[in-house]
Amino acid sequence: MKNCIEVKNLNKSYGNRVVVKNLNLTVKKGEVFGLLGPNGAGKSTTIDCILGLKLFENGSVQVLGMDPTKERKQLFERVGVQLQSSSYQGNIRVGEVCEEIAALYQSPADYYDLLAQFKLDHYLKQPVAKLSGGEKQKLSILLALIPQPEVLFLDELTTGLDTEARREVWQVLTALKEKGLTLFLTSHYMDEVEVLCDRVCIINRGETLVTDTVPELIRKSPYKRLEEAYLWFMKEEIAI
Amino acid sequence: MKKFFTLLKVEGKLSLRCIDSIFFGVCMPVGIMILIGLIVGQNPAPTDAGYTLIQSSFGALITVGICATAFMGIPLTIADYRDKKILKHFFVTPVSPTMLLWVHAVINMLLSLVSALLIYAVARTFFGYEIIGGKLAFFGSYLLVMVSMYSLGLLIASLCRTVKTANVVCSIVYFPMLFLSGATIPFEIFPQPLQNVASFLPLTQGIALLKSTSLGLETNLFLPLMVLVGSLVMGIILSIRFFRWE
Repeated sequence: MKNCIEVKNLNKSYGNRVVVKNLNLTVKKGEVFGLLGPNGAGKSTTIDCILGLKLFENGSVQVLGMDPTKERKQLFERVGVQLQSSSYQGNIRVGEVCEEIAALYQSPADYYDLLAQFKLDHYLKQPVAKLSGGEKQKLSILLALIPQPEVLFLDELTTGLDTEARREVWQVLTALKEKGLTLFLTSHYMDEVEVLCDRVCIINRGETLVTDTVPELIRKSPYKRLEEAYLWFMKEEIAI
Repeated sequence: MKKFFTLLKVEGKLSLRCIDSIFFGVCMPVGIMILIGLIVGQNPAPTDAGYTLIQSSFGALITVGICATAFMGIPLTIADYRDKKILKHFFVTPVSPTMLLWVHAVINMLLSLVSALLIYAVARTFFGYEIIGGKLAFFGSYLLVMVSMYSLGLLIASLCRTVKTANVVCSIVYFPMLFLSGATIPFEIFPQPLQNVASFLPLTQGIALLKSTSLGLETNLFLPLMVLVGSLVMGIILSIRFFRWE
């Protein structure tokens, strides 16, 4: 299977503060890859570097065999991105933000279908500002799906969603995965990671602690669930 | 091109939904025109012998719309979109965020043109105004003043890191430009010391140019042209140098 995302020896610091240290990872086509770590671990910075939004000191990044900074236009026809805590133009309506994003791509998905899948179709004429937090979050995932991406980046995909909405999002993503979508996500919810991810990488303060499949990760730890295993890898004391 | 027009349509609708941009950009300038016309329209201008006050101040009044779009509309929209990461999000699409900036430049240009045309229509219909000088020279001067002021607006957007500072800076720039450059209150009635200070405002020079071309005067336009072209070049160079997408 060919690699969709390849990161080699990525280093990034802000001034003297090292945010990403010697990160290596590869994501194969059709794989769901989770980047895990506590707040401030460097997850969003890593995503920004992979997407070419931030420059880095050294290392190399390739997505679909392309350099994101040099081949931005071709690459982002095929890559969907949901950035953490996205917000929208004041006064904009759901239908308008979809129309605007769809206009940017050569062969966009039918956003009416997507709105129906995410149960947002009856909000077409509603101002985005009036949606609930969870609905806004679903909308931001929906917008990332408009390019009909081969690779999808989701930064904290279900933060703020209720249980039911989370399940809806999982269903849509699992269906897309079966069609061959490659997914790169960050999440703080280990149940979600267990359901969705094939492989995960745990980082803390920019350093990679471990990269493995979910079952292997649990097996390496003395625990039976990913959440405990995760905390064990983080060398946290669990008070029971 | 289709991308551009779809963006123009959606972003244009959003601008029209904002009452403040319509109010400051169109309603207020037209209102001032009507007020001045009603109060002193047919009186002779205080300094320009042989012209009515409407004739003498038309060139100034049509810059009120430019002022509102250049020092409120453009910088505040950019600061807001940057704050909301909307510009950043355009980096992860096949379209450059520069296109979004162009879309807003065009929307604001259209808004100031509408405002200028309405002022002209009101002046002509109700106060019998007609441009005395060459129309082409006048339109050219108008466009130069517009792009020059827009480059300064862009500079404000580049230098202000947050919406809050942009708001403060816009007010600090907008109101003096509006009241001291002669856009609303005729420059000629200011006392001499105030005139000396106000001459430093780029818009004062822009209005001097517009007034001269609208009246067809043969004054020396070297200073206004230098100031406007200088502001344009400086504004663009410094904006590019300091611009941040997020």
